[in-house]
Amino acid sequence: MAFLQRLGRFPASFVLPAVLVLAAIVAFPTVYLLYLSLRHWVIIEPLRYFDGVGNFARVLRSPDFWNSARVTFLYIVSTSMATLVLGMGLALSLNRTFFLRGVVRALVVLPLLIPPIVSGFAWKFLLNREIGVLGSYLLPAIGVKASLLADPHLALFSVVIADMWSRTSFMFLILIAALQSIPAELYEAARIDGASVLQEFRHVTLPLLVPAIVIGLIFRSIEAVNTFDLIYVMTQGGPGTATMTLSIYGWKVAFTSFDIGRGAAIAVMMLIATVVGTTALIRRIRR
Amino acid sequence: MRRPARKRLKWGHAFVTVYLAIYLVFVLFPIVWLVLGSLKSRYEALLVPPKLLFRPTFLAFDKILSGGLLHVFGNSLSIGLANVALAMLLGIPAAYGLSRMRGAARDNIAFWILSIRMAPAFGLVIPIYALMRGLHLLDTLPAVIVAHLTINLPLAVWLLLSYFDELPEDMEEAALIDGASRLQALTRVILPLSGPMLVAVALLVFVFSWNEFLFAFILTSSRAQTVPALIASLAGTMNFDWPLMSAISVAALVPAFIVVFLAQRSITEGLTMGAIK
Repeated sequence: MAFLQRLGRFPASFVLPAVLVLAAIVAFPTVYLLYLSLRHWVIIEPLRYFDGVGNFARVLRSPDFWNSARVTFLYIVSTSMATLVLGMGLALSLNRTFFLRGVVRALVVLPLLIPPIVSGFAWKFLLNREIGVLGSYLLPAIGVKASLLADPHLALFSVVIADMWSRTSFMFLILIAALQSIPAELYEAARIDGASVLQEFRHVTLPLLVPAIVIGLIFRSIEAVNTFDLIYVMTQGGPGTATMTLSIYGWKVAFTSFDIGRGAAIAVMMLIATVVGTTALIRRIRR
Repeated sequence: MRRPARKRLKWGHAFVTVYLAIYLVFVLFPIVWLVLGSLKSRYEALLVPPKLLFRPTFLAFDKILSGGLLHVFGNSLSIGLANVALAMLLGIPAAYGLSRMRGAARDNIAFWILSIRMAPAFGLVIPIYALMRGLHLLDTLPAVIVAHLTINLPLAVWLLLSYFDELPEDMEEAALIDGASRLQALTRVILPLSGPMLVAVALLVFVFSWNEFLFAFILTSSRAQTVPALIASLAGTMNFDWPLMSAISVAALVPAFIVVFLAQRSITEGLTMGAIK
């Protein structure tokens, strides 16, 4: 306990309980995950043994893995860009005072607090080809005859729409905070110089928003890698493997094929990818 | 060439109004449709084109009560409240201690705690599943409570830390000179100043736990099932009962509505995980 004494009684005794709990429920499981990724362990088979990098080799050889990596990449890019554009529009629109602004802002933020599983279900319900009001009635009326969620080319698009619905407010919150920190004098100066609204946006607003945009995009990318609920409830990765992102693929391997070792190997690779993103992000936030 | 200010305003105004109106329709449509769906009979819910005027029925909500689904809401509530209690109990002292620490240890611990919040849940769900399986804790409330704490304890520590950092130290120093212990300084000086922030953190912890799906879905099957896991399992069955599912979803939205209209401002920082203040 000399270690504790050296730390001094006050801060250590306050900080330690939480650190110990997190060590037990996060650090230890993470180490255990690394261990599991090196083991052959299929729940329905009796044999368990050390397999070295066998799980990683099998994952990297699997076409399904590379397909999932591709789907995940498409998903990240489309949802980040869509939420950025929509969120920017919202931030610019709400960055002024008007009647009922508080209520509008609350409604805009609302989807962020709704369980993603409900957001996914609501959109699945709306887009359903047989009974959904959009899928069976409004979309066919404007000439979209395909069943969005059952079409391999359109399923990912449908999931991105639902994700956009659920997550745009996140981008909005980051962007409006940055907008509100831009000094009003800069706009006045631009106005005196006769800048048009577009010039003002291009030369004053946008350059000052770049740091917030970068932070928002990194955040959204990490979040998109982790998205599970929304895709699970809408398509379970289907049709075929059209919406099978890495987290859905990892879940299928670990919990429907019961191959814990191979699932752990996929999780380790996802962990490495997000750690890279997180490090970049935290550097930026701390400046 | 200077444009008249009034003209600029008018165009800006028109854009904003149209944009916001379209976006609000986009946001509200699914929610309104869920509410309408929950008030229809099973037959009406399947009609194409949909009937906009119908006699509302509370049959679907009755089914939640009579179908033994209420315990699922009870589970979600217990898990959420237990998370609030544990995250506050462990998080408040940790954040206070960290905020009064200086040097590399503080930065490293704070960095580690934030990085946990960003780590993929999928990375933790496999080992936690394997551990809970070994401990015979699958499908129990403690398993889900512990799993949710991996998200919520870092959240609570991080938010409270940045709040405590900004409190002036003069008042607690006065208390310490008067002979108060650190614990007394925390409970008598710091906490009374932190009311709104504590409420915001508690609300966020509850909502994140209430909304969480992956852990609850993997760790539970029936007895400890939570609301999102129930919705997913019903959505996966062949025989859709749309009014019932809509009713469960509508009930699942209640915390979101309460939080967004009561505490929207104070939770913003938590929702963006400290990216903004």
